[in-house]
Amino acid sequence: MSITINGTTGIAGVDGSAGTPAVQGNDTNTGIFFPAADTIAFGEGGTEVMRLDSSANLQFNSGYGSVATAYGCRAWVNFNGTGTVAIRQSGNVSSITDNGTGDYTVNFSTSMPDSNYSVVALGNTGSNNGYMTLISTASGNCNITTRTSAAVGPDGTIICAAVFR
Amino acid sequence: MNSRIIYPNDEGGVSVIVPAPECGLTIEQIAIKDVPAGKPYKVVDVVDIPTDRTFRNAWEYTE
Repeated sequence: MSITINGTTGIAGVDGSAGTPAVQGNDTNTGIFFPAADTIAFGEGGTEVMRLDSSANLQFNSGYGSVATAYGCRAWVNFNGTGTVAIRQSGNVSSITDNGTGDYTVNFSTSMPDSNYSVVALGNTGSNNGYMTLISTASGNCNITTRTSAAVGPDGTIICAAVFR
Repeated sequence: MNSRIIYPNDEGGVSVIVPAPECGLTIEQIAIKDVPAGKPYKVVDVVDIPTDRTFRNAWEYTE
């Protein structure tokens, strides 16, 4: 194994592999390796378990069977749509807009890159036949409604939405 | 945050913006970002918003 250390490049010159990582501890088949250009990977027990690819995608093996790109939740919210409408907890959400009975807009703190994201939403409308609909998506917000029929409403006591992109 | 932002919506009713706790923005920053462009708005206290939503769609915005 060759190692070059100087003041500008640090440790360089070794790509390693999953079985023999370039950076190891005492366990010689666990560590960091560099399988391709602009790529960092992590191995455990001789098997690749996580990678940052050349497009900055995070890939990991957490039951996939091999490393695969993880698509993160970019925003989420849990709020009460009845009485004093209030957000319980959220991430990357600046506010919700109560537009009327069962009609809410989720506003993002940091906008999505476009409107082509996926929204997963569930709500407790107090009815066995209640459901939720997605009305629109924009880079800065999405509009969701609760329904038990063609008409919007009623309000939901627990409404949750998550955005994936 | 005990403030709310209200503005007239396109359906003739009023929309109420509920800030997210710990979002790191002030109520004015949220208003600038989340109130649709061109809409007048007001910042009100949460206690000024009715909790009885029976006739929610009949709420109106007044200057």
